[in-house]
Amino acid sequence: MLKILVPTLMLFPTIWLSSPKWLWPTATAQSLLIAFISLTWLKWTSETGWSTSNMYLATDPLSTPLLVLTCWLLPLMILASQNHIYPEPIARQRLYITLLASLQTFLIMAFGATEIIMFYIMFEATLIPTLIIITRWGNQTERLNAGTYFLFYTLAGSLPLLVALLLLQQTTGTLSMFILQYSQPLTLNSWGHSIWWAGCLIAFLVKMPLYGVHLWLPKAHVEAPVAGSMVLAAVLLKLGGYGMMRMMVMLDPLSKELAYPFIILALWGILMTGSICLRQTDLKSLIAYSSVSHMGLVAGGILIQTSWGFTGAIILMIAHGLVSSALFCLANTAYERTHSRTMVLARGLQMIFPLTAVWWFVANLANLALPPLPNLMGEIMIITTLFNWSPWTIMLTGLGTLITAAYSLYLFLMTQRGPAPNHIKGLSPFHTREHLLMVLHLLPVILLVTKPELMWGWCH
Amino acid sequence: MADYKEAPLATRPKTLDPAEYFNLSHDYRRAEEDRAALRARLKRQYILQLNNPHRKELIEDPALTRWTYARTNNIYPNFRPTPKTSLLGALFGVVPLFVLYFVFKTDRDKREDKIKAGNFQRPYKLTS
Repeated sequence: MLKILVPTLMLFPTIWLSSPKWLWPTATAQSLLIAFISLTWLKWTSETGWSTSNMYLATDPLSTPLLVLTCWLLPLMILASQNHIYPEPIARQRLYITLLASLQTFLIMAFGATEIIMFYIMFEATLIPTLIIITRWGNQTERLNAGTYFLFYTLAGSLPLLVALLLLQQTTGTLSMFILQYSQPLTLNSWGHSIWWAGCLIAFLVKMPLYGVHLWLPKAHVEAPVAGSMVLAAVLLKLGGYGMMRMMVMLDPLSKELAYPFIILALWGILMTGSICLRQTDLKSLIAYSSVSHMGLVAGGILIQTSWGFTGAIILMIAHGLVSSALFCLANTAYERTHSRTMVLARGLQMIFPLTAVWWFVANLANLALPPLPNLMGEIMIITTLFNWSPWTIMLTGLGTLITAAYSLYLFLMTQRGPAPNHIKGLSPFHTREHLLMVLHLLPVILLVTKPELMWGWCH
Repeated sequence: MADYKEAPLATRPKTLDPAEYFNLSHDYRRAEEDRAALRARLKRQYILQLNNPHRKELIEDPALTRWTYARTNNIYPNFRPTPKTSLLGALFGVVPLFVLYFVFKTDRDKREDKIKAGNFQRPYKLTS
């Protein structure tokens, strides 16, 4: 763990002491090196799960795929931001990359944490760099509103979590994940216990987001610059899923009755947010709502507490992280050329940018869960386990799959097919950097088809 | 009058000018001339931008800007709870949650009763 954490901390001196000419190449190179070293985590040395060298930071088959995703994403974020940050003064460029690197550090410590309080502190700490990125470097005036919604929704959800964790510490005496999985479940049969159960989960449900409390997500994703959107969609949503999976261990047996409203909200949210996607005019807003839809499926899978549910949730989280981030990068390429996110403006791109049309095509096919990509693997496992839970869910999830296919194809056809607008002349050709970015996003998705055991978690 | 077209390079005679033919008031004619002048100015601005060889960015269309603003940011200020909107909100946002809770709960409780009575059959093995 330290061989990843120390190079990440050493990114800060790299950023602030490089000469301006070498800032971006060195930052990208060092983060790429960290990403490759993080792949060594995928070799699990112990069958029991936790692989650790000290008491505070450990990896297990649940957190390893998410950690590798986080480390993989940092060079991609730095690559994607190069174009729009370049005109700014050098101190602000350094500050931007520092924010991305600090976000990376907090995320590594959050996913590797073994004490739940440390996870909570890192969970909250990731809010600050993200807030600064959204409100300082966003492009429209609505970014202030977006930052406020983002911060206060998450904070309001996580204050009950703090109280619940302190209560858990009082009653069981420890908050270490190693020990808590073996503790006796608390069996107070009172309203207080139900409120404690809800308090443990609401923070993560807001972060995921669940359908009823998802309002911060379209705002934050749309107003953030490309690196902010990438990290939000790919990793920060998965913090919620990861937290839920860790907390579920100790929340039995109450979850059997209390989870119903949240499962229903998640499943109904798939349909509602999918339908909203079909009526969107803003490109990033469509991708943001599709994130809510996919995460609804993940939330449903986790709340059911079966092994297939957990496995499907992890697979879908990893696959969705990569694909959603790829879609945001593609949307950013359209935004940088036309300076508008309206979909009708960036039409007919297939004739103008044929190779990019390939990336749009693959990303949209992955988004609609085409076999054999891991998106389908995750969705099929979750849908199957939901069917086992109650056969009536197939109505919701089947219709949800249909609507997902509809809006993914709608996105593809709106941006690629059709006549190009007459008054757009200044579409600069695609840089190699942008093609490299798309390859680095989509190649892991395709490679994961061949070895999904890396993502399966510990339930198989 | 409707299908009279003048020869391509000729001008229309004065008696067939629509303002004279329909005896339109002078105020109307002045307003029509002002509107034509406005259209010509807008068209001139657009054509200048379109044919500018040094232009690199998009020509901003204020109608498109207003349309996207209205569709994304201006929805809630114009929302008002009416019988129709309340019915739609209840039908799609509140009622399905309760219906689904009822459906899932009864289905799961029936399954639980069958398991307790020993009648629940599991013909397929899902996990090995």
